[in-house]
Amino acid sequence: MIKQREFRTLLFLILLFVVVGFINTDYVSLQNIDKSLKSSLVYIVLAIGMTFVLLTGNLDISIGGTLGLSAAVCGTILRDGGTIFLAVFTAILIGACIGLINGFGVVKLKISSFIMTLAMLSITRVVQVIYTDGKWVENIPANIKELSTIDIFGMNLFSLIVIVGVLIVQVYLSKSSKGRYFTAIGDNADGAISLGIPVKRYSTYSFVISGICASIAGLIFVSQIGFVSSNAGTGIELTVIAACVLGGVSLMGGIGTVIGAALGAVILTSINSALVFMKVPAFWNDTISGSLLIIIVVIDSLLAFRANRKAKKVRLNARVLQKEA
Amino acid sequence: MLTKIPRWNLALFLIIIAEIIVFGMMNPRFWNITILLNSFNDFIAVAIIGFFVTLVVITGGIDISGVSIIGLTSVVTGLLSQVVGLNIWVSIICAILIGGLCGLFNGVLIAYGRVQAMVITLGGMLLYSGIAIVLVGVSGVSTYEGISGFSESFSKIANGEVMGIPSAVIFFFSMFFIAYILLHRTRYGRYIYLTGINQNTAEYSGIDTKKIITSTYVLSGLSAGIAGVVLTSYLGSARSDYGAEYLMPILTVVVLGGTLITGGKGGVVGTALASIILGFLQIGLQMAGVSTQYIGLATGVLLIVSVAFLGINPDFRLNVKRIITPKQNIGG
Repeated sequence: MIKQREFRTLLFLILLFVVVGFINTDYVSLQNIDKSLKSSLVYIVLAIGMTFVLLTGNLDISIGGTLGLSAAVCGTILRDGGTIFLAVFTAILIGACIGLINGFGVVKLKISSFIMTLAMLSITRVVQVIYTDGKWVENIPANIKELSTIDIFGMNLFSLIVIVGVLIVQVYLSKSSKGRYFTAIGDNADGAISLGIPVKRYSTYSFVISGICASIAGLIFVSQIGFVSSNAGTGIELTVIAACVLGGVSLMGGIGTVIGAALGAVILTSINSALVFMKVPAFWNDTISGSLLIIIVVIDSLLAFRANRKAKKVRLNARVLQKEA
Repeated sequence: MLTKIPRWNLALFLIIIAEIIVFGMMNPRFWNITILLNSFNDFIAVAIIGFFVTLVVITGGIDISGVSIIGLTSVVTGLLSQVVGLNIWVSIICAILIGGLCGLFNGVLIAYGRVQAMVITLGGMLLYSGIAIVLVGVSGVSTYEGISGFSESFSKIANGEVMGIPSAVIFFFSMFFIAYILLHRTRYGRYIYLTGINQNTAEYSGIDTKKIITSTYVLSGLSAGIAGVVLTSYLGSARSDYGAEYLMPILTVVVLGGTLITGGKGGVVGTALASIILGFLQIGLQMAGVSTQYIGLATGVLLIVSVAFLGINPDFRLNVKRIITPKQNIGG
C-alpha cells in the first residue's frame, strides 16, 4: 500500500493538515476542510482532463485559455437571460472544438503538444479579449451563484458531483478496456499500435476530454466567482500540471491516476489556505509551492531510479541462480 | 549543396525582407532605419534568452524558467544598488551570477537528478518569481512602483549609443556572436549536438553529457540574468514582474528558428532571424494601426504554422516528392 503513489500523496495531505492544525486548530475544522475542497473544485476538474492528456504522453497548456473563453461566453449567455442548459451545451461545444483543433495539430500535423497548446493558449486569450471587448462579464444573475452554495447531506452539491465524477473516471481508466488504451498509448506508443489500439483517435480524444473539462471548470468558475475578468484563469495551467505531478502522474506518459491528480490539486490549494492560517504573508505562496514541487519531484525520481536498479539486480541474480542450478 | 537548415534560414531571411516591404507600404515610417534599429529594444530580452535556450533545446531539454529569472535579477540589481548601497556594477555582476546560479540549480537537478526538464523549470519558474516577490516584500518596497532612482550611467547601458548604433543592437549581435561561436565553432558545440541526437551514444563515446547538459542551463540562466539587467536599465526601474509575458515569444523564436523541440537539430542563426521577424511583426502591426490585442493572435498562428511546416510527417513529404519527381526515378 505504501508503495502506491496516491497513498503517499494522501499521507502528505493528512500530514499537512495535522502540522498546520497544531499551529492553528481552526484549520482542521470540518468547515474549513469543506471550504478547501470547494475552492479546489476548478483545479480538480482541470486535473481530470489533464490526466487524460498526460497519460497519452502529451501536454495541454491551453486549458487556462479554454477556461477563460468558455467562462466569458457562458457568462454572457447567462447574463443575457439564457438557460443553464444552453450554457452547459455551449461550454461543452467550445471545449470540444478547441480540443479537436489541438488534437488535429498534434496527431495529424505532428506538432509537439507543448508548442501546439501554447500557441492555442495565446489564440484563445485573444479571442476572449475580442469577444468581450476587453471588458469584464458582470451582472450574472444571482440564482447562478446560488447553485454553488446548495448543500446535500451537509456536502456541497458541486463537490459531491466532482468526487463521484473522479471515482467514475478512475474506474473507467483502470478497469475498462477502452479506458486503459490511454495508459497503453503513453506507456509505449509503438506497442499500442502493434496491439491494434487506434492510437491517433485516442490521442485526439484525450485533448477533446481535456478541453471539455476545462470548459466545465469555466462554468464552475462562473458560478463560484460570479463574474469573469479578462484575465480569468491566467497561469492556471502551470498549477494544474504541478498538481498532476504532485499526484504522481508522469509527464512522460503511461503512469498516473485521476485520484492522485485530484489529491495533488487539493494539496496545492490547501497550501495556500494553510499559509493564510499560519499567518504567512501572501507573497510567500509562489516560493513555497515552487520549492515543494521541485522537492517532491526530485525525491520521487530518485526513489523510482533506485527501485528500478534494485529490480534489475533481482532479475540478474535470479538469472544467475537459474544457470547454476 | 544546400542542406536543410540553411534553406530554412533563407526562408526566414526572405520573410524579414517581405515584412520590411509590406509594413513599409502600410506606413512609410517603417522604412526609417533609426526607428527599425531602435525597435530592437522591444525584443532584445527575448532574443538574448532565445539564443541560449536554443542550446538547451538542442540537448533535448527545455528551459521555461528564464522568464522569472529576468524579474529576479531585476529585483536583485535594484535591491543591492539602491537599498543595500553597493556599487552599481558590482550589483549587476552579482545579479547576473544569481541568474547563472538559478540555471545551475535547474541543470544539476535535470542532469544528475534525472527529472524531466519541463517539470524542474516549471517549478523553478514558480520558485524564482516567488523569491523575487519575497525579496520585494521583505525589503518593504512597493511592488507596483518598483525600485527606481538608478544612476545616469546605469540607464546608459540600454539607452545609449555607440557610433550611432543603439546599444540594444550591439547587445543583440554580441550575444548572438557568443552563442554562435559556442555552438557552431567549438568542440563544446559539437558535444551539445551529439548529446541531443543520442545521449547514450554520446555518453559511450566519452562525452560527459551530464556536464554538457548542466552547462547549457547555466548559460541560459546567465543570459536571462543579462536580459534582466538590460530590461531594468531600459525601463529605469526594478520590478519582479518583468518578463512574465515572454514565455511564448521565447519559445516561438527558438522553434520558428528551425530548432527541433525534440533536440539534436537547429542553430542560433535561425533564432536570431526569427527574433527579428517577431520583433518587426510586432512593431509593424503597431505602426499599421492594428490594436495590440491582435498581435498575440498573429504570433500564435505564426508559431503553429511554422512548426507544422517543419514537422510535417515524412510520409507526406515523400508522397509530395514522388508526385513531383519524374516517373523514371520510381522503381528504377
